[in-house]
Amino acid sequence: MITLKVNGESHELDVSPEMPLLWALRDRLHLTGTKFGCGKAMCGACTVHIDGQAARSCSIMVGEAAGKTITTIEAVSGKVAEAVTQAWQRLDVVQCGYCQSGQIMSAIVLLTGNNAPTDEDIDLSMEGNICRCGTYVRIRHAIHEAAKSLV
Amino acid sequence: MRISESPVRSVIFALAFILAVIDITLLSTRASRTEAASTGDQATSLAAWSEISTVLQNPRCLNCHQLDSPLQGDSRRVHIPHVVRGKDNQGVGAMRCGNCHNNMGNNPTSGTPGGLHWQLAPVSMLWQGLSSGDLCRAVKDAKRNGNRDGAALVKHMEDEALVLYGWNQGKGREPVPVPHEKVVEDMKIWVAGGMACPN
Repeated sequence: MITLKVNGESHELDVSPEMPLLWALRDRLHLTGTKFGCGKAMCGACTVHIDGQAARSCSIMVGEAAGKTITTIEAVSGKVAEAVTQAWQRLDVVQCGYCQSGQIMSAIVLLTGNNAPTDEDIDLSMEGNICRCGTYVRIRHAIHEAAKSLV
Repeated sequence: MRISESPVRSVIFALAFILAVIDITLLSTRASRTEAASTGDQATSLAAWSEISTVLQNPRCLNCHQLDSPLQGDSRRVHIPHVVRGKDNQGVGAMRCGNCHNNMGNNPTSGTPGGLHWQLAPVSMLWQGLSSGDLCRAVKDAKRNGNRDGAALVKHMEDEALVLYGWNQGKGREPVPVPHEKVVEDMKIWVAGGMACPN
């Protein structure tokens, strides 16, 4: 049995330690806000937080995440998360929306470590989150807006 | 006619003599190689380095001995997604090595490679673009090798987790072409011979 601490709750799962965390989150814990995109850590749709870092849950294995603090889009909270989600809504960032939970999870990590990011800081941090609708300009704008509200 | 007086006896003696000479020659060659390895011999050291350099210039090693961003795969393409070194050689902000690469090893489902403390090699260990001779001088320079002497370099090759990854590369990637035990032996010979470098 492997113990996963997700969104403040502990779960005992009878799964292989090599199972991708995303499988456990979506299929075992039914937390479907985190999306499957490429399945090989190249698109960022599956981004969650592990001990406060942005992690690609399709590539991080359950055994790696065991015992750590995992947060999914369903449970993000706090000043930075509120600033990001409010800026996202205010600027109507989302188009189809499929990548957006991953985008928001990465943006929260960026702003938690840097509350005044430059365009370059944003590009370097958000590089791993792909949006096929091309909402990158609105994403960048929303991150700047969220940063301003945090000062 | 008694065999001891026959031509057959002469032939047997001749063959025995030839075999003895061959055996002594082989023993002597083996002994001289061992001697060179233990006491140091520049030519032997150079020969060992030649094989070591093919290992260090293999994508499994060289892909992360880059200036600011790693390369990826056997084709040595730019890492997708784009990542940069950062202050601790492990990325920046929301793009850090551990976001995708597992400490516990390769992910058989996603194909993402992994190993303990996955990271870019320090800038001082930039190997990209170096000739075999320049690489050799970089590897033995304490200022560019993490302050390691010969013994520490051998140990690094023997048991460093990211070095060992080269032989546990996961599906879809070629392993380092020389067996690990052979490279460790080469390192010992290279060090014993005075860490000789080609010009």
